[in-house]
Amino acid sequence: MSLKTFIFGLSASFGVAWLAVVVVPYFKMRDLQPIPMSAEPDSGIFFPKRTGRIADGALVYSENGCYLCHTQVIRPTYAGNDLYRPDWGGLAADPDRGDTRRETNAFDFFGESYAHIGLNRLGPDLSNVGRRVEEIYAKDGDPKAWLYNHLYNPRMLPERRESGCPSFRFLFDKQKINGNRNAEALPIAGDDSTELVPSSDAKALVSYLLSMKKDQPVATSLNFAPAKKDSDS
Amino acid sequence: MSSTTSNLKDAQIRAEIDRSLRHPVMFFMTSGAAWLAVSIVLAIISSAKVHSPGFLDGCPFLTYGRVFPAHMNALIYGWGFQAAFAAIIWLMARLSRQVCRSVGTILTAGHVWNFGVLLGMIGILSGHSTGVSWMEFPVFAWPVLLISYFIIVIWSFIQFRVRNADYVYISQWYLIAAMVWFPWVYLTANILIFVMTGHPVMDYAVDAWFKSALMFLFFVPVALGTAYYLAPKVTGKPIFSYSLAKLGFWSLAIIAPWAGLQKAVGTPIPYFLPYIGAAATTLLFLPALFNSVNLLQTTKQAKEIVSSSPTLRFTLAGIVGLLILGFSAILLNMPSSTLPLTQFSLSGYGFEILAIYGFFSFIMFGAIYFIVPRITRREWLSRRLISMHFFFSVYGIVFVALIAIFGGLQQGAGQEDWMHDWSSAALRARPYAVAITVAWSAILISNVFFFLHLTLMWLRLGRRSSHPTLLVSHESSSPHGAEGDIDNAGPASLPAHH
Repeated sequence: MSLKTFIFGLSASFGVAWLAVVVVPYFKMRDLQPIPMSAEPDSGIFFPKRTGRIADGALVYSENGCYLCHTQVIRPTYAGNDLYRPDWGGLAADPDRGDTRRETNAFDFFGESYAHIGLNRLGPDLSNVGRRVEEIYAKDGDPKAWLYNHLYNPRMLPERRESGCPSFRFLFDKQKINGNRNAEALPIAGDDSTELVPSSDAKALVSYLLSMKKDQPVATSLNFAPAKKDSDS
Repeated sequence: MSSTTSNLKDAQIRAEIDRSLRHPVMFFMTSGAAWLAVSIVLAIISSAKVHSPGFLDGCPFLTYGRVFPAHMNALIYGWGFQAAFAAIIWLMARLSRQVCRSVGTILTAGHVWNFGVLLGMIGILSGHSTGVSWMEFPVFAWPVLLISYFIIVIWSFIQFRVRNADYVYISQWYLIAAMVWFPWVYLTANILIFVMTGHPVMDYAVDAWFKSALMFLFFVPVALGTAYYLAPKVTGKPIFSYSLAKLGFWSLAIIAPWAGLQKAVGTPIPYFLPYIGAAATTLLFLPALFNSVNLLQTTKQAKEIVSSSPTLRFTLAGIVGLLILGFSAILLNMPSSTLPLTQFSLSGYGFEILAIYGFFSFIMFGAIYFIVPRITRREWLSRRLISMHFFFSVYGIVFVALIAIFGGLQQGAGQEDWMHDWSSAALRARPYAVAITVAWSAILISNVFFFLHLTLMWLRLGRRSSHPTLLVSHESSSPHGAEGDIDNAGPASLPAHH
C-alpha cells in the first residue's frame, strides 16, 4: 500500500464519521429554528425566558469547576430517572401549576456559550436550582442570602452537614463596616467592625443559579409529558 | 558485503540515530515524568476532597473544581503527549533508519510545549479555566500546543517519506495514523467550541467526542504502535499474525471516530448521535481484542523473557490493560442498562484512567525502559527501583480504575433510585473515593522512584555495562563478575544494543 492510499484510507475512515457525527450535526444545531408554542396561528414562539447575570455567572461556574459535580440536564425517561425526582425537573406540586416537571430542551441554554451538562453527579442536578431555592430551601426567606450562606459554608445547616460541596469562602470579601452594615453581608462570622460581603463573582454566580428555573410550560411539539386524565382543557 | 559488515553498519546507523535523539527523547521523557508526578499529586488532592470536603479547604487555587481539571490536563498534555512525542520521534527514526537532523528545532518546540502546558496549568489553578472538559487550559494555549506539536512531529513524517525501505511496519501505520488524526481532532474541537458560535449543547457533545477521539485516535494508536515494536523486538520473535494486526488497525480506524457521543445521551441533540456513540464505543472491544490477542501471542513465544525484561513486563501489563479497556467499553455503554448509571458517575473517570494510565502509560514505561539505555548508552541503575515502579503502578492502577468503574456503577444505581432521597446517592461515591485516594498514593510512590531513576539516567549516571538490567539476577553466571562488561570500549560494544 502506498503512503497516498494509506493516508486516503485514514482520512476516509475518519472523515466520514467526522462529518456525520460532528460537523453536520453541529451546523444543523447552530441553525436551530424557533418553534411555535402550539399549532394555533398566533400562539407565538417558544422562548424560555431567563433573567440574571447569565454570561458572567456561567463564567464563574466554569472557572470553579462546578460542572465536575453538578449536571444541568433532566434526561428523558429513556435515558435515566431524573424526571421522577420530586424537585429536579421542576416541582412535583407547584401551588399554581401543579406538576411542572419536564425534560431539558434545546432552548434552555439561552444566553450561555457552552452548556454545562456536566460530568458527574456528586451533587444534585442544577437545572431547577433557582426554583428549588425559592420554593423549598428559602421558602420564607431571601433566596440570594440562602445561596450566599450555602456557598460560604455548604455544611452549615444541620440537614446539610453531609454535603460534599467545597466551601467557596474565597468568593467573599472581608471589609470594614462604615456606618450601616452591608445589606448583603453574611449573618455569620465577622465581628463588630468587619463584615463578609459577596464579591462580584459570588453575585454573578448566585444570579446565574437563581436564573435556573427550567420548568416553564413548553411548546406543544416539545411536550412529551403524558396527557393528564383530570385535565380541564 | 559480508553479513558481519552489514550488521556492523546497521549497528552504526542505530547508534548514530540514538545519539542524535538523545536530548529530545530524554527531555520529553523526563519532563513528562515530572508532569506525571504533578498530576498524581493533584489526583490525590482532588480525590481526597471528594470524601473529605474540608481537606485544604477555602483556598481558591486548591478548590476541587480547579485541582481536578489541573490533574487531568497535566496527565494528558504534560505526561501523555510528551511520552508520545518521545516514542514517536525515536521509533520513526529507528524504523525509517534515519538520523534526526532537527534536534534543536524539536527541543525548542518541546520547551514551548512545556511552557504552554505550564501557563495553561497556572491558568486553570488561578481560575481561568474554560470549563470544557479536557480543554480547560485558557484559550490562548491551544494554538501554542498545536503549533509546537507540528514542529515536533513533522520531522518524523519526513523521515518516513525519505526512508529507503519500501515496506511499512505495523508500528509505523499506527504512529502515522495518530500523527494525522490528532491535529484533525484537536483543531475541530477547538474551532467548533472556542472560535465559532454553535449551539451550547452541541458544543458539549463535541467535547464528549473530543475526549473519546483523543483516547482512541491518539493515545491508543501511539501505544499500539509502540507495543508492536517492543513485543517482537524484546522477545526476538515475529509478530504472531500480520493479518490480525491489519484487522486490528482498520477496525480501530473505522470504529473509533464514531465513538464518544453516548456521554451526551438524554441531552437535546439529535437522537441518533448518542446511540451511534454507544454502538461504536461498544464495538471498540473488537480492535482491543484483535490487538491484545495478537500481542499476547507474540510475547507467549518467549515466556521466560517476560519475567526478566522490565520492558516486556510493562508492555504485557499494558496489553492486559487494553483487554480490560475493551471489556469495560462494553460493560459501561449499554444504552438500556448501564449507560444511565455511568453517564454521570465515577465510571467515566475510571475508564479514562484505564485508557491513559492502565494501557497507554504502561506501554510508554515499557518503551522508556527499552529506549533510555540505548540512547544514553548506560544501563538502568537498579533492578529494585524498576520492580517498585512496576508493582506500585500495577496495584495502584488496578485499584483506581476498577474501583472507579464499579463504584461508579453503584453510584449510578443510587442516582437512578429516585424513591430515596438524593443524599443517599451522593454519599455512595464516598467510600470508593477513599480507596481511589489510597491507590493514587501508591502510584505516586511508584512514580517518584521512576522520575528519580530517569533523571539519573539522563545525567548519564547509569551503569557503564553491556549487561542490561534484568529483573532476575543472572550476574553470578557472568564471567566478568557482578557488574558485567564495563563499557569502556566505545562503539565496539555496539552490537549489544539492538
